[in-house]
Amino acid sequence: MNILPVEPGTVGPCPVAPDALQGIKRQQTNPARWNAAGWRAFVDELRVAGVDLVEGAVACGTYATDAGGTAYGLPHGVVIARDAGQVSSLLKAAQAHRVPVTVRGGGLTTEGESVAFGGVLLDMTGMSRVVKIDAAALTVRTEAGIFWHGLAEELRRENLDYLSAPLNLTSSVGGTLGVGGIDVNSARLGCSADQALALQVVTPTGDIVECSDSENAELFQRVILGYGQFGIITEATLKVRPYTPLRMHYYYYSSLRTAIEDLQILDRADASDYSGILTIMDCAVNLLVAFDSDAREAAFRATWESRLRGYGEFGFALCMAGHYALRPWRLGEALYLLRRKREVFPEFRRPEYMRDGKMHDRTVVYSRAVWKYWGSRNMVIPDLATSADRFIEAVERGNAVCRKYFRRYTLYCVGIRLRSDHKSHYEMSCVPPDAEEWAYGCEFEPMIDGHVYSRDHFQAFKNAIYDIGVDMGASYYRFGGMMKGYIRRVFGDALVDKHLAMKRRADPAMILNRDVIF
Amino acid sequence: MFGPSAKAVGPRRDYTACNGCGLCFLVCPMWRGHRDPRFTPQGLAKALQCGATASALAAPLDACSLCGACDPVCPESIDLSQMVMDLRLALPRRPDIDSRHAKLAQLAGCAAPPPAGALLLPGPDLRAEPALLARVQALLGHPGAEDDGADIALALEAGIEIPRARRRRFLDRLDGRALVVADGLLLRQLRRWLPAARLRSLGEALGNLVALRRRLTGADFYVIEARAYHADHERLVGHYDRLRTETGCGINLDLQRMAIPVAARGRSHPPELAAGGDTTQARWLLQGRTPSRIVVESLADRAAIARICDVPVLHLAELAEA
Repeated sequence: MNILPVEPGTVGPCPVAPDALQGIKRQQTNPARWNAAGWRAFVDELRVAGVDLVEGAVACGTYATDAGGTAYGLPHGVVIARDAGQVSSLLKAAQAHRVPVTVRGGGLTTEGESVAFGGVLLDMTGMSRVVKIDAAALTVRTEAGIFWHGLAEELRRENLDYLSAPLNLTSSVGGTLGVGGIDVNSARLGCSADQALALQVVTPTGDIVECSDSENAELFQRVILGYGQFGIITEATLKVRPYTPLRMHYYYYSSLRTAIEDLQILDRADASDYSGILTIMDCAVNLLVAFDSDAREAAFRATWESRLRGYGEFGFALCMAGHYALRPWRLGEALYLLRRKREVFPEFRRPEYMRDGKMHDRTVVYSRAVWKYWGSRNMVIPDLATSADRFIEAVERGNAVCRKYFRRYTLYCVGIRLRSDHKSHYEMSCVPPDAEEWAYGCEFEPMIDGHVYSRDHFQAFKNAIYDIGVDMGASYYRFGGMMKGYIRRVFGDALVDKHLAMKRRADPAMILNRDVIF
Repeated sequence: MFGPSAKAVGPRRDYTACNGCGLCFLVCPMWRGHRDPRFTPQGLAKALQCGATASALAAPLDACSLCGACDPVCPESIDLSQMVMDLRLALPRRPDIDSRHAKLAQLAGCAAPPPAGALLLPGPDLRAEPALLARVQALLGHPGAEDDGADIALALEAGIEIPRARRRRFLDRLDGRALVVADGLLLRQLRRWLPAARLRSLGEALGNLVALRRRLTGADFYVIEARAYHADHERLVGHYDRLRTETGCGINLDLQRMAIPVAARGRSHPPELAAGGDTTQARWLLQGRTPSRIVVESLADRAAIARICDVPVLHLAELAEA
């Protein structure tokens, strides 16, 4: 067999895999497994401290991968978080014995960030109780391992709701505050991390510290959007609001650019309470607009609806019928669109979630649909985050990459209102440094739908998307784990070294979420 | 390639399809009680993917209440309740449950053939309250079957192999009929075994009676029997949504429209053997709620709720005289 010479820094052609990559840099793969030096002494110390650590394949196997399903690793043992004191004891022992601790909430990372390659896996979902709801002050204090949906269930008993959270029922509060958290109301209310008023944090050396913008502010700044590097969030105080159902409107576009332009017009004008874009195909783009109140909806209808260039469902169906009548060779596309419409649309209009034309429990509706019709054993969702004026270019370039790598894919675009007083929170995060007032994010999600792709194919796809970000000076949401090779390219050595120095001071043995960022 | 996706229409799948989304955590009473992922359907599926045996999973298998809420929420359509039931078959037998099962099987063996027409399968809880049973029969107009499959229901719950001859004798007498089944787990299984039978849960059958429905008010809190509801969720979610809209009563549905199970069940303590039990679920059910009356479909739920609150707790059939 004639194997071609390998250029330095590249991976050569693989004679086995049909989609093996030629000339594509492997930016990052899984880290090496920790060698377990001193493990038994560490376990003994935990036992003396009363920390329950479980070993064995059954306990550890549950955590073998994350939602991405492409990174696999096993911890040596698992600790279910029960309280801040226990977490503190764990971290003190881990520092002393230099045992890595990987923290996991909902496990919804896609790049292996919540997968332990040896050491301890700390499962925060054991700390998932609501501590106190203050309906008068519109705040809630909760343990940070709680799923957003669990929090919503408790808040609803008081007719309250959280402000913004990922459209995913099993994201944990702590995990979300550590990375950002985007909702379809983020263009108005900001990312979930901006809703946190105060945190209880266990530092990597085991101190239990309360922090906020006014108390231990530096720790607060580092932990919020800090990718779990500077402490473990054990409790959080969040803003909440009265619960309201939504009036939803959907507009359909055949042009991605036009849809994004309209999205940004609405965001700038504060014309809606919720806004976002979800594509079915390049030529079938859905702009979602929703309202908490009849008054806001009426104002939108009076002022903004006629300016949108999208169609209603019926009008768009006619457009598509005409489009494909003139292009019969693209019948397959038309059938795919019909199938998705038949499967997915009813899911968004289930009668048990609709009352008087309003949608109740939007996160349940969307999250269940997302898992059912987009979920898969493997999920890669590279993203780009840019300032508002560079967003269309980033999305169009990313879309071209998707087209190259996958037959079907979905884009999800939302705006993120930035808080000028939180600039320091955003440093080395998904918020691009040049963004003012709004940042915009786009997730590029291939539809796997039973197909099998190699890890190299996924990695090359992600690399191609992230290369656009490097070229444009954008940022990313998922830059840890397998994608951490991009961190210095994106943020630059000076900023990364500054954070690395802070990390070394805070975490002398570098045990907390090792290999996720540094 | 352009037909419906496999997940949308395919048969229910096994544990290998679990992708770890965690949606089952949110509805799982085991999870609420333990806050430990090993005590969840996902935890079981993931452990099985790693080669775990039934005996290694005995604790969560014993603790599972088979409420079935995880089945309709699973986006991968994994038959999670069946997974637990199958695994229980491989666990060591329990003499106390075996002895109870043998008694029930003996009673079933002596039972007379059922009369023609629609039938009620009341189960042991309802049989233990003859006055209520008589009222239910009068309301429905159905006689009760002497052989109501109580031994089969217990076998399903406890992981006891059901002899083929026994199963055939039971099913042959029921096939093609209209049946009202009080035991939710038995109902779930009958839907599979008797696709031609017209099956309803006791709650649905009574809840369709206008005389009872009319007596529900906005101050009532209605407790759906979780197993029967989840076994036919796609259809029954509409039934109970209409009930709530028409009467204004509160219902034990969470935000995913799954029924919050109340009775503390599990292989270790099937309801008819449970004396006390964990009240976590009942307390969660009533957290932040102040109904003037609680109406239940299941007697096991009535007992569990009555343990923690002073509000009157009625069986649905008792509404007629309330």
